[in-house]
Amino acid sequence: MAAGLFRSGATGRQLAYAIVAPLLVLAILGLLWQWVALTIGSILPPLGKVGGEFIERPGFYVFHLGVTLYAGLIGFAIGALSGVLLAGCIVWFPFLGPALVPVALMLNATPIVAIAPALIVAFGFNAIPHIIVATIAAFFPMLINAITGLRSVDRGALEVFDAMSASRGEVFLRLRLPSSLPYLFSGAKVAVTAAMIGAIVSEFTGTTEGLGAVIVIATSFLNLTQMWAAIFTSILATLLLIGVINLAERLIVRW
Amino acid sequence: MYAKLTSVPGPVAAMRETEEARGDSPAGLGAAGDRIEIRGVNRIYQGNGREVHALSDINLHIRRGEFVTLFGPSGCGKSTLLRIIAGLDRQSSGEVRLFKQDPLDASRSKNIAWIPQSSSLLPWLTIRRNVELSARLNRRADRLRLTARKPERPMQVLRELGLGEFADKRPAQLSGGMRQRASIARGFVQGAPMMLMDEPFSALDELTRDALQLRLLDLWEKHRKTVIFVTHSAAEAVLLSDRVVVMTSRPGRIHSIIDIDLPRPRPAGIEDSPAFGELVRRVKATLRAGWEGA
Repeated sequence: MAAGLFRSGATGRQLAYAIVAPLLVLAILGLLWQWVALTIGSILPPLGKVGGEFIERPGFYVFHLGVTLYAGLIGFAIGALSGVLLAGCIVWFPFLGPALVPVALMLNATPIVAIAPALIVAFGFNAIPHIIVATIAAFFPMLINAITGLRSVDRGALEVFDAMSASRGEVFLRLRLPSSLPYLFSGAKVAVTAAMIGAIVSEFTGTTEGLGAVIVIATSFLNLTQMWAAIFTSILATLLLIGVINLAERLIVRW
Repeated sequence: MYAKLTSVPGPVAAMRETEEARGDSPAGLGAAGDRIEIRGVNRIYQGNGREVHALSDINLHIRRGEFVTLFGPSGCGKSTLLRIIAGLDRQSSGEVRLFKQDPLDASRSKNIAWIPQSSSLLPWLTIRRNVELSARLNRRADRLRLTARKPERPMQVLRELGLGEFADKRPAQLSGGMRQRASIARGFVQGAPMMLMDEPFSALDELTRDALQLRLLDLWEKHRKTVIFVTHSAAEAVLLSDRVVVMTSRPGRIHSIIDIDLPRPRPAGIEDSPAFGELVRRVKATLRAGWEGA
């Protein structure tokens, strides 16, 4: 956001609002956190302790983050791609919508915590169950955003295409797909977050690797510092992924 | 006085009078293929168990190279009629022939340039790429030489519309008036013999609108396309057109057709002339008479 403001020649007040305001909110939250941690230590560890945990064992968190990222990113890629492809089919063949959207809704309503153990029984102790859970989590937001985007076409532009008898393929590739890009990027940001959460939740069972497993094991040992260090790792990683998607959006959606 | 009215306000009979006067009636048809013919067109929409007559018994002939405006209040069916002519909608009954072609065939041959109400430029393309759009769509028509169109040079048309230096900008970098000019340029570059314009200036402020009307007139004088233009503005209709088709609503029908016998090219300041003012008053009075009689 701040970069956009610099580019568009924003005023000093706007810049201050864009940069200072979120920092101020974070500072207030940090102070609140510290107050709770120092008053009731069993709820939250002091932030300094969590930071120290990172500095002491960076390799530990990087390894487990790598495991989670592997499942989360593959799941995101498969879920996002299949969501866009299915949305394309639904927009191309409108009769598919009533048949497939309820199934997608059902998939979205599936409690992923509950199906993770079932997937481990089916696929064994490997990355596949975690990838499947991340895929399910990423699929729906991408599908819905892609359907909305592909249908949200400027009516006048569509008439211009129709008046020239443009083929359905031309309408799709030259009009619908580019028009939907802002929606696809919005969907991707929600989907990558969902995929990471899905991967972490699926690691609660059947594995000793990944940030989800670290959180569960640390909780069972009442190690609040390690648990929060793992949670912060996942938050930072997800924010970084959203940042990468934002950057790609800025480079591609330049209108 | 610049002109005299050749048709008087009144029902469709007035239109027939005008046509017969110039030997333009179906009976006196010479070169039927050299004009747009709309015969007995009706458009009925079904909704909530009842029928809505959007258009009723529309008869209209437009000669090649003529600038005709469909004028009337909201809901009189002028945009519906334009969409039927463009092949974007189908009539319930009646016949539409565009220089011998069915609207869908004309559309397949890229012989119709459609200029919508909003500029509807593709925001991800530069202005130049936007106006070149017709060359990238439905190339089959060009390959098989189905089309009567003669594409214009994009940069030349952009320059004619004062957009030469903005060719590499994106639509978001242009003002509303410039975007609308680019939309008109897209239509001209297509090179189609027919241009159908659906209230293209309605969203613009008065000054921009005035400037764009003059630009459009200049461009039309050079290219002499057959233009069917839809508007709510009587002054715009008189300034641009050879004939104004006054439509009334419930159901949408042609009340009368008024010849605009002002000189071409329109001289500067023509809007201030008594003849122009008289014609605008006549067009408005005709509309009012149609309204009261409806």
